Amino acid sequence: MNSSYLFSILATASIFTLLALSLNIITGYAGQAMMGIAAFFGIGAYTAAIITTHDGNFLLALLAAMIVSGVFGAVLGVISLRLQADFLAITTIGINFVMAAVFNSLKITGGTLGLTTSKPVIFGLKMNNMYFFIFTTILIVIVCLLITKMRHSWFGMALASIENDPGAARSFGINVSKYQILAFIIGTALAGLTGGIYSHRMGFISSTDFAFVVSIQIVSMCVIGGLGTLRGPIFGAVVLTVLPEVLRFADNYRELVYALLLVIMVRFMPEGLLGDDSPVWKFLVGLFRKIKPRKKTRADLIAEKAKAGEYELSGEGGQA
Amino acid sequence: MEELMRVEGLKMYFGGLKAIDGFDLVINKGETLGIIGPNGAGKTTLFNAICGVYKPTDGKVILEGKEVQGTPAFEMAKLGIARTFQISKPLRGLTIFDNIVAAAGVQEYTGIGSYFHKSHTKEVEDKVEAIIHETGLSEVANKKASDVSLGYLRRLEIARVLVTDPKLIMLDEPCAGLSNFAINEITELIFKLKEQNRSIVLIEHNLPLTMRVCDRITVLSYGKKICEGTPEYVKNDEQVIEAYLGKEDED
Repeated sequence: MNSSYLFSILATASIFTLLALSLNIITGYAGQAMMGIAAFFGIGAYTAAIITTHDGNFLLALLAAMIVSGVFGAVLGVISLRLQADFLAITTIGINFVMAAVFNSLKITGGTLGLTTSKPVIFGLKMNNMYFFIFTTILIVIVCLLITKMRHSWFGMALASIENDPGAARSFGINVSKYQILAFIIGTALAGLTGGIYSHRMGFISSTDFAFVVSIQIVSMCVIGGLGTLRGPIFGAVVLTVLPEVLRFADNYRELVYALLLVIMVRFMPEGLLGDDSPVWKFLVGLFRKIKPRKKTRADLIAEKAKAGEYELSGEGGQA
Repeated sequence: MEELMRVEGLKMYFGGLKAIDGFDLVINKGETLGIIGPNGAGKTTLFNAICGVYKPTDGKVILEGKEVQGTPAFEMAKLGIARTFQISKPLRGLTIFDNIVAAAGVQEYTGIGSYFHKSHTKEVEDKVEAIIHETGLSEVANKKASDVSLGYLRRLEIARVLVTDPKLIMLDEPCAGLSNFAINEITELIFKLKEQNRSIVLIEHNLPLTMRVCDRITVLSYGKKICEGTPEYVKNDEQVIEAYLGKEDED
């Protein structure tokens, strides 16, 4: 295996990781069934491509891809987030088909011929696969840090509450639709940014790159790894990008493999291979904890003290 | 007594169904008011119309002199109206501790700005710990809400209400589906809240309990108030007896 082939796979894997992370914000953290992430991936890809073919700066093009995709996300979010679970899923599937058809017919997107992009230059470096991989990986690290900060903020608490029970969330002051739309905007903007990277790394894009099938692949990545965690979508994206390369001989059956994996996972392990409640993850954590015990949380300390009888309890408690 | 909330001519219609049909109510500061009535009388609908889950068809809800009817539920919570649910709504994936932390953020959920404020500060955790002790949830503090029994979930609902420092606590059947033992625990908890001079509205089907803890009781039947007064007065009212037991056949 030569290094250019390796970096080609790594570049693809890193791009899909970033895309999976963007879906994870909407579906994993905010609990919105989004089945059309490829539409926003495409909006970003075309936006950036159009800007750079008109001699725009690559980084500015990425920024524009983010903004345009986020604005689309905001508009569609306001319209479709009134819908609940299944209906939202169907609506977003519809959005995906409509956008793919739009990409395929507009003149500015090159119609069925698609668009050709030139390899951008950042800080004097002509971007090859290796640089794309490094660039995207840096973005992944930044996104992970931002998401980790979110998880420890009231914003994260609001999303977690909504994901668990919107009715309860409202009862303690959370404007559910506002937060859902914010999550939708953040997720679609990130998908747009990823699209901008993708179109320049590929050198050529056409509407089939953003078909519904791509959305399903991204959903599969998140579900197989574990929605609502950071490690899950990253793991899922890497595995599902590398696996087809390893199974090159079965290339014609790639979509079948995705579909089968998805069905098997949803049926037998809905929390994903590395989800918090997954036996695999629990086993791994168990091994790790033997070396380094978990830092006790405030809640653990309270429960321990209570069990040791240090507090006066109102009763034996909790027998329904 | 000082008035906390006043409900005037509240109507809640669903198409042709008049679930609440011209309802008046005064809630005073520091009192415990019971709302009872047969199944389907409209008690939970009344709660939902007051708390902003539904937008009332007509009528006023006045909180400390300000009209607040039709305000969405999440803003009602910020105004200090905190309610529990008849069917518990725990955040199942979170620990009991984090469930209460989530509710403690009631004034923090401002939108994008809330990204820049840490949720588990020492101040918040101290407050949550105090509430956990008060409501007897210490033993299960680190358990996921999906893993604890209904008795704990009922107390969790009350804990989430308390942590928001509410002006008015609205309890929707806090004892529904509990054993006698667990009912006694909840009763004790409600008495504790009474001692702290909190304003409470309680919907409850368990009449002996309601009679015991409430200062005043309002009886609702088919969306209308049919009686109001002290527990003793309500107990002996003919209309109330009729609503619960039916009328004796004249023949």
